[in-house]
Amino acid sequence: MEELELATTDAPPGWDRAVVTLPVLGFLSLIGGQLPSYTTRANVYTICVGGAMLWLGFTGKVRRPLPGRLGPGTTWWLLPIGIFGVFEGSTFLLGDSPDFPTFSRLANPLLEDELLRSAGYFVWLTSFWALVRR
Amino acid sequence: MSLTRSIAIAGFVVAIVACAVVEVLARRRDSTIPTLGEVCAHAIAYEVGRVPVGRIGFFGFWWWLGWHLFAR
Repeated sequence: MEELELATTDAPPGWDRAVVTLPVLGFLSLIGGQLPSYTTRANVYTICVGGAMLWLGFTGKVRRPLPGRLGPGTTWWLLPIGIFGVFEGSTFLLGDSPDFPTFSRLANPLLEDELLRSAGYFVWLTSFWALVRR
Repeated sequence: MSLTRSIAIAGFVVAIVACAVVEVLARRRDSTIPTLGEVCAHAIAYEVGRVPVGRIGFFGFWWWLGWHLFAR
């Protein structure tokens, strides 16, 4: 009986399915993509949507069990992370200028297009969603 | 386009391609490389005492990243 109760408690909510969450995240991304940078609306919207994700992440309502131990190949992840870190860090330290652009400086012109901005917003939200389920 | 700008762009592209390659290798059968999601899950679960340092770090950074890219 106790095991059954635990299983019920640990089960994800009924709405936590891709067929439900992806359209919702897509709709939120379409709205977010229409809001231009440096506006109060964009600030409030991004802070509220991110805050909701943060709340879900800390309450653990959609959390999945931790996968097994990490294998010896984990160190391979240091390669892409290290390359990115070297270029982001060095361009930032060199002043983040057109000659030494950081990643976000390169992304900014692309994000001015509303469709690409919505797509970027969708990537940010879905990856945030993937993180809070971990 | 200046040489330094080209090198910076190439560096970021190499990092993204390397990320994709490691993820593909991790998804092979019997691979000893964990997927990016599994690595993140372990890093997120990291706690110091009862303080969820991993959650605070990951969620806080991702929240800031969205604000940085889409609000300012």
